[in-house]
Amino acid sequence: MAQQEQEVVENRFREALTGRLRDINTIIVRSVEKRETELLRLLDRGSYDTGALRELVRKSPFIHAVFVLDAAGNRLHPPPDGPLTDYEREFLERSGQIWRDKQTFYNSGEAAGNTAGHGWYTWYWGNGVNLLFWLRDASGRVIGAEYDRSRMLADIVGDLPNSDPSDPDLQRARIALTGGDGVAVYQWGTYEPNPNELPRVRLDLDHPLDAWSLVYFASGAESGQSLGRGMLFNLAVGMAALVLALIGLAFYFYRESTREMREAAERVSFVNQVSHELKTPLTNIRMYAELLEQSLPDSDSKATQQLGVIVSESQRLSRLIGNVLTFARRQNDKLALHRTAGNIDQCISFVLDHFKATLESKGVRTLFTRGAGATVEFDRDALEQILGNLFSNVEKYAAGGGLMEVKSLQDGSTTTIIISDRGPGIPRGQEQKIFEPFHRLSNKLSDGVTGTGIGLTIARDLARKHGGDLKAVGSDTGARFELQLHTPPLTSTLKEPRA
Amino acid sequence: MITQRIWHAVAALSLVLAGTQSLKAADQVKVDVSVAKPYLLAGQKQTSYIRVGLTGIPINDTGRRTPVNVAIVLDKSGSMTGEKLRKAKDAALASIDRLGPNDIVSVIAYDQTVDVLAPATKVSDRQALRASIERLSAGGSTALFAGVSKGAAEVRKFLDRQRVNRIILLSDGQANVGPSSPGDLGNLGASLIKEGISVTTLGLGLDYNEDLMTQLARRSDGNHYFIENASDLARQFKYEFDDVLSVVAQEVTVGISCGPGVRPVRVLGREADITGQTVTTYVNQVYGNQEKYVLLEVEVPSQQAGTERNLATVNVSYVNMASKNPDRIARVASTRFTSSASLVESNTNAAVMTSAIEQIAVERNKQAVALRDQGKVEEARKVLLDNAAFLGENAAKYNSKELEDYKGKQRKDADSLDPAVWESQRKAILSEQNVRQSQQGQGQNRQ
Repeated sequence: MAQQEQEVVENRFREALTGRLRDINTIIVRSVEKRETELLRLLDRGSYDTGALRELVRKSPFIHAVFVLDAAGNRLHPPPDGPLTDYEREFLERSGQIWRDKQTFYNSGEAAGNTAGHGWYTWYWGNGVNLLFWLRDASGRVIGAEYDRSRMLADIVGDLPNSDPSDPDLQRARIALTGGDGVAVYQWGTYEPNPNELPRVRLDLDHPLDAWSLVYFASGAESGQSLGRGMLFNLAVGMAALVLALIGLAFYFYRESTREMREAAERVSFVNQVSHELKTPLTNIRMYAELLEQSLPDSDSKATQQLGVIVSESQRLSRLIGNVLTFARRQNDKLALHRTAGNIDQCISFVLDHFKATLESKGVRTLFTRGAGATVEFDRDALEQILGNLFSNVEKYAAGGGLMEVKSLQDGSTTTIIISDRGPGIPRGQEQKIFEPFHRLSNKLSDGVTGTGIGLTIARDLARKHGGDLKAVGSDTGARFELQLHTPPLTSTLKEPRA
Repeated sequence: MITQRIWHAVAALSLVLAGTQSLKAADQVKVDVSVAKPYLLAGQKQTSYIRVGLTGIPINDTGRRTPVNVAIVLDKSGSMTGEKLRKAKDAALASIDRLGPNDIVSVIAYDQTVDVLAPATKVSDRQALRASIERLSAGGSTALFAGVSKGAAEVRKFLDRQRVNRIILLSDGQANVGPSSPGDLGNLGASLIKEGISVTTLGLGLDYNEDLMTQLARRSDGNHYFIENASDLARQFKYEFDDVLSVVAQEVTVGISCGPGVRPVRVLGREADITGQTVTTYVNQVYGNQEKYVLLEVEVPSQQAGTERNLATVNVSYVNMASKNPDRIARVASTRFTSSASLVESNTNAAVMTSAIEQIAVERNKQAVALRDQGKVEEARKVLLDNAAFLGENAAKYNSKELEDYKGKQRKDADSLDPAVWESQRKAILSEQNVRQSQQGQGQNRQ
């Protein structure tokens, strides 16, 4: 049983690593695409004036040499009968393979099924692959540019992550970009693999870099437990891995819950570990995002906006992690509340402020009717978690609904908060089921929606723990949740919380 | 009457215009075009040299010093452990202290991986910069190519033609992760200079690859320094920053169009495009009080005595770092023809000839190194001694201390071909070649 579990964890681990390599590959693909766009712009010219083409080579940092063939495959540039520059002579000599088989090259577009009229051509020369970008014009002539090999690699290296030894996430990993010979041309991460060590996962790159691969080495200590390590170099990578990890963990806990209970202590220690593993990268992400904010010039509104996304996404992840941990604690019956004196309306506003921007971007306006302004005893963290889960459900399932209404009421020691949206609502008969862990509504609705599937379960647990309840109420206009909490006013004598 | 008034007005206006013309911001580069032989013998085809001298005129107002955007890329491989790293840190820290709040700096360290210690940022938070350098420790191998690539990426974040964009690379070992051939690194340098980024390379100790380091610097128009002892690091960093902080002109393009029948043969010591009658070469930066020159060898067709011939038109364009505007200067190089050999001799321009002899001697010095690399020690020695004789003869002829000095160095080189000393001598030789080919300053012309 344990072995099977180990396998599941290991598979997920490898999946996550492959996912990371794919994300890194995306960086490389983008790097090449960026250059492709640039080359398309530079090469798309009606006429091929020798002087202008030479100027192009002289000015463009990426282009090492340029050539033009007529529709029959004869060379128009470098001029077949005019004087040549040194580098043109050198290029003709070096690319002899292409000139000898010009028809092969000329046809390479169609042969590869390329109908776009442009593409990459690779050939081996010297100590590696050379890249040519070619473009066919309306009259059938082909212009090609050699992307300087050193420059290409330098561009890719420039875009790939750095090695930050203080980054705990890279301490047990080594990621490398390897050439055709399998030797690393660029690498990062603190872990030093043995010379004979095989990478845990490997990903071959796509055309035109098909001779290249990305490999991931991880120290023996690295296992499924550290799945969720985010990496600052690419927040997206970190985020994706974390979400994956969370889903994996949730799955793990779900299986656990349907199985004979293990030793509680063992699980607690595991969860503590996970909690640490997940929280550290997240703290890093947030910290660096804030640092970045400070070093950004005020004028850079685009970057500020993008940073806003990073911050709000890391908040979302915090919530997910919180859910997983709460869920684990719930299973251990260790869910405990810490009540302090506070104002419920203020707490609601605080959470709403975090969601406002995201909701608005999804076409959901918020309307908050305040009615719980008294100072009462309640667990602020628990309420934030409940509201966070409910609001994020609106964001996920009721996008475009136009409005989310929040209404708070207080009656003696009871606070009621009603959240209603204008989304598709909850189908009749499902009002109870949605609170079951890992329950999802119809596939149609949850398509493309990510999450752990334990948000509502936890929200209701917390509400019940808090001497109240959370209910989904049937409604014709959308989903409607009623949250009740036991919140003794501060004037009353402090009592041990019920439940 | 009226026409007279108009004429007065026009005259006054043109005076004003002429006035503004002369009041226009002064040129930042003094361009001096001279030919080796203002008189050539008539009736025969012969060789001459055209020298285009570019001297930077310092920007006097220190407040207007050209802002810089430098990436300091440090080697932290295992061999740097101890004093080397300590001195490198001190040199980097002292250099950063010379920068102002408008300058941009980044600090990168590489072993087998690359750590961006301080991403490109304005030099405002010196404390953080210091701390990032101080925490550096050594260990590992040498991913030099990646270090330069990351340095370029940092410089590119604030790439601006109005700044001095530069990577300063320190290495004490052989690049062993990523591309490591001099050609690969040279190509990278040639690509970076097209963006206006130069790479200065500092080779420390006796184990770095001098071919790689000199090629990278040469093809990106950066400086190269051979630093045998770590205790010299601070001084060489100082020279480098003296240069970086004294840039007066950038993107200097020298275009030489040869007159009809005049054949451009080669540009001595510099990379240049020669197509038909046109020669184009590029100098990324000109520093205050330093002269860079372009030396073109031409073949002049036979002419009749008493005629004068336009050898070439020289067009120099550059971005004036004081006015931030592009400037253009055109000059003509011409020569007269005579049947008097003594007239040819007495008019020969010693400065141009000295430069030409020096560049030819560098070429020969390179041949000697190539021979020594093939193990042909005796042949190498002979080339060096011949070169010394050639330099000595011309030093006397043109009364040049410069050539006399270089003659002495040829002799010294000839005595350093033994395996025991060759390793260090080879680095000194390549460094010397580079200094002469790119007219790199060595701190002697600065205040």
